[in-house]
Amino acid sequence: MSQTPLDVIVVGAGANGLVAALKLARAGRRVLLLDGTESTGGQAQLLEFAPGFSAAPLGLDPGWLPSRIAAALDASGLEPVSTDTPLTVAAGPGEFLTLSRDAGQAAAAIAVHSKSDAAKWPSFTAQLHRLAGFLEVLYQRPAPDVDVSSLRDLLPLLELGRKFRALGRRDMIEFLRTLPLSAWELLDDWFECGPLKAGVAAGGVQDLRQGPRSGGTGFVLLHHLVGAPPGSVRGRVPRRGGPAAFTLAAESAARRQGVTIRTSAKVTQVRVKEGAVTGVVLAGGEEIAVESVLSTTDPARTFLEWIDPVWLDPEFVRAVGNIRHRGCTAFVLYALDALPDLPGLGSPVALAGVVSLTGDLVALERAADAAKYGAVPERPHVELTVPTLLWPSLAPPGRHVLVARVHYAPYRLQEGALWDAARRDALAETVTAAIEAVAPAIRSRIVHRSALSPQDLEQRFGLREGASSQGELALDQILFMRPVAGLARHATPIEGLYVGGAGTHPGPGILGGAGWLAAERLLAQRRIAR
Amino acid sequence: MSGRRYDAIVIGGGHNGLVTAAYLARAGRRTLVLEKRPLVGGAAVTEEVFPGFRFTVFSYVVSLLRPEIIRDLDLPKHGLQILPLESTITPLDNGDYLAAWSDPDETRQELRRHSPRDADASAIFGHLMHHMAMAVKPILGMIPPDPTSLSPRDLAGLLRLGKHFHSLGPERFHALHKLMTMSSADYLDEWFEFDPLKATRSASGIIGTFLGPRSPGSAYVLLHHYMGEIDGAFRAWGFQKGGTGAISESIAGAARALGAEIRTNASVERVIVKNGRATGVALSCGEEIAASLVISGLDPRLTFTRLVDPKTLPGDLVEGVRRYKFRGSSGKVNLALSGLPDLSCLPGNGRHLRGAISISPSLAYLERAYDDAKYGEFSRHPYMDVVLPSMIDPGMAPPGQHVMSIFVQYAPYHLNGGWSAAKREAFGDAVVKTLARYAPNLESLILHRQVLTPDDIERMTGLSEGNIFQGELALQQLFFLRPVPQWAKYRTPIEGYWQCGSGTHPGGGIMGASGRLAAREILGTPR
Repeated sequence: MSQTPLDVIVVGAGANGLVAALKLARAGRRVLLLDGTESTGGQAQLLEFAPGFSAAPLGLDPGWLPSRIAAALDASGLEPVSTDTPLTVAAGPGEFLTLSRDAGQAAAAIAVHSKSDAAKWPSFTAQLHRLAGFLEVLYQRPAPDVDVSSLRDLLPLLELGRKFRALGRRDMIEFLRTLPLSAWELLDDWFECGPLKAGVAAGGVQDLRQGPRSGGTGFVLLHHLVGAPPGSVRGRVPRRGGPAAFTLAAESAARRQGVTIRTSAKVTQVRVKEGAVTGVVLAGGEEIAVESVLSTTDPARTFLEWIDPVWLDPEFVRAVGNIRHRGCTAFVLYALDALPDLPGLGSPVALAGVVSLTGDLVALERAADAAKYGAVPERPHVELTVPTLLWPSLAPPGRHVLVARVHYAPYRLQEGALWDAARRDALAETVTAAIEAVAPAIRSRIVHRSALSPQDLEQRFGLREGASSQGELALDQILFMRPVAGLARHATPIEGLYVGGAGTHPGPGILGGAGWLAAERLLAQRRIAR
Repeated sequence: MSGRRYDAIVIGGGHNGLVTAAYLARAGRRTLVLEKRPLVGGAAVTEEVFPGFRFTVFSYVVSLLRPEIIRDLDLPKHGLQILPLESTITPLDNGDYLAAWSDPDETRQELRRHSPRDADASAIFGHLMHHMAMAVKPILGMIPPDPTSLSPRDLAGLLRLGKHFHSLGPERFHALHKLMTMSSADYLDEWFEFDPLKATRSASGIIGTFLGPRSPGSAYVLLHHYMGEIDGAFRAWGFQKGGTGAISESIAGAARALGAEIRTNASVERVIVKNGRATGVALSCGEEIAASLVISGLDPRLTFTRLVDPKTLPGDLVEGVRRYKFRGSSGKVNLALSGLPDLSCLPGNGRHLRGAISISPSLAYLERAYDDAKYGEFSRHPYMDVVLPSMIDPGMAPPGQHVMSIFVQYAPYHLNGGWSAAKREAFGDAVVKTLARYAPNLESLILHRQVLTPDDIERMTGLSEGNIFQGELALQQLFFLRPVPQWAKYRTPIEGYWQCGSGTHPGGGIMGASGRLAAREILGTPR
């Protein structure tokens, strides 16, 4: 047993865990933050995949940093880079369409393909921004639900209703209509240019085992735009301090508030007695007594692996077991001795953003088809980013890192096959060939190549089924249904146990969003026992 | 203008148009129904396609028809007579079969043979679906309030809806939310393990939509079809004696008895609009008929862009109609047979031939059928729902001979290269060949074959893109969004011009609910 008296153990030192720990410590709680991996940062961790070459494959999109959390950190390096990080789409042999975050500039590029699309672009991106803006409102408060029993419960709902109405009638309708829509239909409603549609729609299937034709991908598209600047159609702007900037800031703020952080401390059990938390057990057998635990690990592991099922209702266990994860993103990391040359790309700085190699919706949909049956597509959807354009220190001087994000690589393969070395190599080869089609000289520049399958991501980052979402972003797994009905407000059936990871409301890609709300809930419910 | 003046003209003698007309007539309005074809029914017709062989050409089974309509219009008196379908048989690829019988205990026994766990789960599942159907019922029966509006009527409707959801309790509300948003395969995966069972059940989640069983949104269609089994008048899928045309005839009979007039072979060219008000219709023969109300039972595309000049309508509405998805995805093959087909999994004649035969051996089979259609081809191995109406109602075919109705998915309206006679036959061949895998003697029995593609369905019935629901039952096209936001209450921007087809809430199937709600709304509006 550990000697120091503790109020709360926070499990997982990713963005949510760091923010939860910070918020709890600021409220005077004595907090121990545990992480099973060797370092803090969770999904933003840098991997040194070749000597001197590092990348944070899961941190390509730096995530939305809500202003109240940024204010709590009070650190530098978190401001967005000034370089344009556009979305570029392969539009044909030696041809690219680069969509700057500046809507006017993007429209000029689109005009080469379609005048009418170019004319609509500014209003399209403005609409996305407004609709994502309402999600931003939803994501900073506990998930609304129907189980209102008093006026006190009703007031926040009415307040939300007021904010919704502030959108105006047209946007209200568009919001309600867009959530269940497929990204394909949404884009078809607006545009005719194939590469344009494919590039934007790919944002709607990010980390999802669905193709762009599937309902709900309209919502996913908006989700990943929450906190992005106007004009964006893919993700948020990287931070000046690099992929680790947020971790560094949050960690030092937490330490300043007195949070104790232990890495390589893997929780294997949460001890429960008479329905209430009494402590945690670490791998190796160490036990730490505590009455409050806030888990930012995925809810499935938290409940199915750490808690003795006698304390849980079988229906609840069944519901948690039914959470869909379905990781389907793989990465191939390349160490290069020079910048890749993509003829026709224009400025190589475009590679600081995202370069999508899939130029039409059908190809994107076909890539998803294979995954439905547990197979890796022959022609996967590949997106390229060169992070060393923004942060040269991720590679030795003059050299570069190329990250290829690959869709769809299903975690569960047909007939229970494993992602062994042969399969990983085959995937890396397929991806390299796809890159070669736009960058013919690429092979001669590769110093090292390293592939990460969803099973590797599961092992390396502790992500169930390799899903960075901790639970697929689908309409039945968001808001009051995230991760399952009844858990959306972060308190659980076990007294003293709270969940606050990406698997809970408001979901992935929001730095500390869930951790903050979970900590708030814990503080409201648990008095300091001294 | 012709002599007699009408209070109301209903364009289109489909079942919803007839229901609206009957209710208007019942309220004392002088009502005229105009149908372009020689017979009423729209997509619910019975025709003698080949001498001696009568077919329910398009729609073929019924369960959704609202009980209150049957009651209000006294339909049995006018010929409504539903004969129950005994069973659903799913032939499996290993030569076995999965059966669902009309007796629930027998069905559970049968299921136990394949999966004891699923047999146990099916009782609880059935219970939940019952509650879900009950939860949706009041929603299907209400004029959809618009959550984006501030009118007292909408706010009152929303409050009623909020109270309804609240009264369900969190558990059922959350279950309903799942059904509204999930894919039928994911939803069923949470309950069952036996793949052919999941496939057969998920099939009702894809009917009439351009979705696969793994597409989010299909669980709602599943629930929509479940409604009939739970709350319909017959609590099971059934077959109308004389075919579905006889249902239309019975509603038409009721409407006539209540004083409505029905004219067939009367194709409406356009709605006459004067000073923003509908004053009557012009037929394609040039005749004009005046009425103070004109109600379109046609789909939203025809209602807003063909019957009236879209240039006179608000831009949002026209844009909404343009975005409204039809995407017909189903075809129909009608066969005249010299004898009975022999299923290799269950040979010989038997009660199983008085039910449905579902070609849905696995979820992957259905999903692959969808994959073909996504890229503009008809399914090489389609999902099929097969019924032998002559086994239930011998009057449908000459003695000893049979008619077979095959509902087929997927046949996309937008086929690569377009539909042609050759493509139609190739589609028919794919259907027959696939079915013959399970009934080897089928090909030798075929006397005549009628193949209907979505293109044919559009041409014959007028349904845009051949969509049997007058537009997909997708979440973004339901409730206050059906067919178009702000115009979901059966009204149109043209005074005196109304909509009553399946393209309005709640839509889909031989349900009649749209027609009834439209009549209620029209009658509730002061003249």
